[in-house]
Amino acid sequence: MSTVKCLWRSTRLFSLAVLALGLAASTPVAAQQKKLSFLTWNIADQEELFKEWIADFKKIRPDVDVEWLDKKGPEFPTYYQTQVIAGTPPDIINTQGGLWLEYAAAGGLVDMTPLMAKDADVRQRFNADYLANWSYEKKNFMLPFYISKTLLFYNKTMFKEAGLSGPPQSFEQMMEFAAKMSKGEKTGLMTLNFDWLYWPMFKMNGVELLTADLKKAAFNTPKAIQVLDTLAKATAAGSVNKISWTGRWVEPNGAFAAGNVGMLHAHSPAFFFIRGQAPWLNAETFGAAHLPGGWSTPSSHGWGISKGSKHPDVAWEFLKMITNDRNTARFSERRKVLTGNIASDKATLDKMSKADPLAAAVLRTQIEQTDKLTGNWPLANDSRVKEAFYPEIQNAVLGRKTAADALRDAEPKVNKVLSR
Amino acid sequence: MQTDKAAVANLTASSRPPRVGSKRRRELILLWAFLLPSLVIFFLYRVLPLLWNVLLSFEQFSLFGASKWNGVDHYRDMLEDDVFWTALWNTLIYIASAPLGIVLALVVSLMVNTEVRGRNLYRTVVFLSYPLMTVAVGIIWRWMYDEKVGLFNFVLRSLGIIDKPLPFLQSFEWALPSVLLANVWQILGFYMIILLAGLQSIPQNLYEAAAIDGASKRQQFFRITLPLLRPSIFLAFVIGIMTSFTSFDLVYVMTQGGPSHSSELLVTYIYKVAFELSKIDYAAALTVVQFALLVVLTWLGNRLSGGDAGARETG
Repeated sequence: MSTVKCLWRSTRLFSLAVLALGLAASTPVAAQQKKLSFLTWNIADQEELFKEWIADFKKIRPDVDVEWLDKKGPEFPTYYQTQVIAGTPPDIINTQGGLWLEYAAAGGLVDMTPLMAKDADVRQRFNADYLANWSYEKKNFMLPFYISKTLLFYNKTMFKEAGLSGPPQSFEQMMEFAAKMSKGEKTGLMTLNFDWLYWPMFKMNGVELLTADLKKAAFNTPKAIQVLDTLAKATAAGSVNKISWTGRWVEPNGAFAAGNVGMLHAHSPAFFFIRGQAPWLNAETFGAAHLPGGWSTPSSHGWGISKGSKHPDVAWEFLKMITNDRNTARFSERRKVLTGNIASDKATLDKMSKADPLAAAVLRTQIEQTDKLTGNWPLANDSRVKEAFYPEIQNAVLGRKTAADALRDAEPKVNKVLSR
Repeated sequence: MQTDKAAVANLTASSRPPRVGSKRRRELILLWAFLLPSLVIFFLYRVLPLLWNVLLSFEQFSLFGASKWNGVDHYRDMLEDDVFWTALWNTLIYIASAPLGIVLALVVSLMVNTEVRGRNLYRTVVFLSYPLMTVAVGIIWRWMYDEKVGLFNFVLRSLGIIDKPLPFLQSFEWALPSVLLANVWQILGFYMIILLAGLQSIPQNLYEAAAIDGASKRQQFFRITLPLLRPSIFLAFVIGIMTSFTSFDLVYVMTQGGPSHSSELLVTYIYKVAFELSKIDYAAALTVVQFALLVVLTWLGNRLSGGDAGARETG
């Protein structure tokens, strides 16, 4: 038999087998189970807890199968948007930053306001300021999952060596302290810059990004120029490390952990990363405080329900369960983070104060001064506004332009985005 | 009797001319049967997305609603988009680093192709950078470039070349060259392997004949080595262009395209526009431009190598 004949016969047999398998697979399945999926953002370490949630929900709703998915930072939007286009968005999503605003403004998320009106206890569970953070056009689109905002970590040893005590009380003092502590490998001040975590340094000086009606840029003022110029000069002199304006998470936190940074403006999760790398860190050598003026930028995560969900009612039921006092406390304890749930945050802090007072002191700042959250604007194109503005800030602080020129150049760019 | 009949029938059948048409048809069906799965996958995962991407670039896309026809607005926006032009220029510079990497790899290949002692070790050392995860490479190089505690600043200052540390990745002038250097370092080993394979396929008797004819080493290199290496160089060049175009991870890890877009490439800009700014339609238009550029450059590369993917010399 020739090779061609042999191949021909094999191909026919293979095709028949595939056809048979296809027919078998397409046989209707009797199951009528509802399916619910929830997508989390880079928190795969909590798999065990999520499985417990799923098992708990199964007891309440045996007719529902819950599937959990997790995607890492940059993969999350790619995955979610692809699923939306395919018409199969996960029912529940955990998101942060400005993405939820875009999704909400484009009609991609379920408005939870009527649901919260119906289940009033859900609204009352949460810190009102953190809950308001997830509001767009007076409608709530998300529930808090876990909360964090920026604060000032400081190295008491470096403070002592520079003849300083206590955290700075004003922007000027902060810059002065930074200059005093900068020498060789040592840097006075560093800030995280992603998600606009640096913005409180402007806000504490009364600088506004936009007008009150959010229609125009409001930052091109003598005061803003002065603040930016101060930051640029401090950066050029080395008292503010340049990584503050380009680095992300690891370098600034790593540098502080190495004992080379006097003050670090970062959000609370950074504390646990730093402590894991800094054997020197204890209550004698480390301090945590609010920034002067108490301003901070939140970097919280929330839960939303996709508009494309086939079972939004079941999704809401699931969210009610996972945000109740018991489940948020379980999450807080395992992840060492607060959740915005008033009762469970209090319980967590009470417990932590005894077991880990330093961590408790850091986390306590997260539920203080919550009326001074800044750095987010309830605009559908919040991220585009920021993208139009921040490169010019970089131009100034890294010495390419003067502060005045940078803000002057940023103004039309921001206004152009706002006008669209 | 029965046996005789069968023998006659067999004889008749074997003396019949073969059914050429039927055999050919069976072969064709078989050919297409084998090709079809790959073609379907290629069509679904390559051609279709490409066509959809082109269509998307002319639309006002909404993730959650109906899209609207937008004409050439995105392309017009591109003309006024400073970041696009910066990213395009940076991408061209990045691509230009491919020949630089190939030249370096050629030098290294020639060195490790000689009878030098320990050449296998050298080959391994040079190649080692290639299989490393790009994200890890980015992180390592990021630390080496650090202004305060980085290796480069330490060495440069120790040698007295600079008196103030250079903020390589935080500098508008140095950010892109710094990433380029890391990129060349990583891909050098890969180029070396391609070129080394090319070098080893050149028959030694050509060199012997040239030496008898009195050709110098330089003449041997330009008259024998280089022409016969053309297919390998072309392959390295095309791969170099393609990897430059898609060199997302290294730039993203090292600089995120910053500061202020000074190391932005088209590919990082497309990602940001699509998934950070959610302007998927505009990102599609940028992708069309990038695709066109890739086609032109590959065509140009082919033309420069003789129009036959560099294969003529070996034919």
